[in-house]
Amino acid sequence: MSNVVDIVDLSFKRADRFIFKDLNLSIQAGKVTAIMGPSGCGKTTLLRLIGGQLEPRAGSVKVLGENLKDLTREQLTRLRGRMGVLFQSGALFTDLDVFENVAFPLRERNAMAEDTLHDEVLLKLEAVGLRGAKHLMPAELSGGMARRVALARAIATGPELILYDEPFAGQDPIAMAVLQRLIKRLNDDLQLTSILVSHDVAEACAIADEVILLGRGSLLAQGSPEQLLHSDDPMVRQFMHGQADGAIPFHYPAAALTDELKTAAAKQKLVP
Amino acid sequence: MMNWLQTIGQQTLQRIAALGGAWFMLGQALWGMPGPKGLQRLTQQLYVVGVQSLVIILVSAAFIGMVLGLQGYTLLVDYGSEQAVGQMVALTLVRELAPVVAALLFAGRAGSALTAELGLMKATEQLASLEMFGVDPLHRIVAPRFLAGIIALPILVIIFNLVGIYGGHIVAVEWLGVHSGAYWGNMQAAVSFVDDVGNGLIKAVVFAILVTWIALYQGYTCVPTSQGISEATTRTVVYSSLVILGFDFILTALMFGGL
Repeated sequence: MSNVVDIVDLSFKRADRFIFKDLNLSIQAGKVTAIMGPSGCGKTTLLRLIGGQLEPRAGSVKVLGENLKDLTREQLTRLRGRMGVLFQSGALFTDLDVFENVAFPLRERNAMAEDTLHDEVLLKLEAVGLRGAKHLMPAELSGGMARRVALARAIATGPELILYDEPFAGQDPIAMAVLQRLIKRLNDDLQLTSILVSHDVAEACAIADEVILLGRGSLLAQGSPEQLLHSDDPMVRQFMHGQADGAIPFHYPAAALTDELKTAAAKQKLVP
Repeated sequence: MMNWLQTIGQQTLQRIAALGGAWFMLGQALWGMPGPKGLQRLTQQLYVVGVQSLVIILVSAAFIGMVLGLQGYTLLVDYGSEQAVGQMVALTLVRELAPVVAALLFAGRAGSALTAELGLMKATEQLASLEMFGVDPLHRIVAPRFLAGIIALPILVIIFNLVGIYGGHIVAVEWLGVHSGAYWGNMQAAVSFVDDVGNGLIKAVVFAILVTWIALYQGYTCVPTSQGISEATTRTVVYSSLVILGFDFILTALMFGGL
């Protein structure tokens, strides 16, 4: 099976801190791949590097066979036409109603007759179960509905690859189950490749074919959800089973508590 | 001492980088002519920044004109020159108060709204989303707002002049008994369309460019958090106000100061 994403020796820095250092990973076509890891490990940053919204400091990111650093602005725009993105907040345009939000990428990218566009938008909304909400404004939608509209918009142009940024964050159990079912069904029915950034282990593992676990700026583990759930690696086990303490310590690095208390007591005595 | 120098150097470099970034943003935004859809977006923005600023402009202009009429009358009546109150009101408004006060109000009403809107679009990933659809947010979002600001403020200044002059007329003529013919006649004789009204409008255009540019740059580059947006909005109002007052002095010196 071919790779949709190939990341080679990737380094990325924010201020003085390396988010990734010499990261190597591949994502196979046709699968739902979940990128997981603790908060702040760079999951969303990786998604933005794949989408070409950030440039790596070193190394290369190859998406759908194209090396992003070799692309001109126009070529990158064309490549983005083959991708869909579901942003964490949904990122619906607040001045457009549901119908116009889904129609937006079709109007921008495809010169389509208005009646064809109308049918296409209705089909996409039907796929996410929100055809009846086409006239609503984003402010009138619940969080789960907004994500589903954003999902309809992401698949509107028939992408080969969809990037999902924390699709389950802040969702109630029903909305979460709906989104899970939609992501899996759309991936299989439309023969897409889905890359899913999440830290909801149970929800992501339920639909993922492959899991990539990031931590400390590099790849901690990659494999099927079962392989990672039964891993012996202490860091992988701690994250996958949600243990509060372990390889990733509960306490932020600090001097011993007794020493700090003694110092504070000594200082108090000095004060008359 | 070294730390102090380092801080000054760092802040100077940051200011220069921000200025460069602001020029770059403006150049990118204005590159290329807007198509028919661009004109539709421009019309929408004219409504938002122009029409929605109208109430505050009308109310302020009326009161400022009335105060000028009252103050002018009480000063001039001691010298028996109260008939000149019309020209005093008009010249004060068209040369100075209308462009400056309208621009200050515009910065507070429309400038802050533009910054907050762009900041929120950034925080809710709408700008990133546009990029992913292959749409340049500078061209789509920033350009129509910038052009709308440049068109709207001079029109608001003209309205400010008209309402202010009429406010002065209400107080001076209808309340205090100055002769209506003297009010309008002296004004007509003293106010030059090119030198006074024209220069006032040039000021309005300059202020419009500065205020809208500052507002859009602050919104586009703000930290996309609630605190970041609130700080950017405050910076828009503070920087715009300072720049308006500073440039007003420079423009007045060039236009009326014989420089």
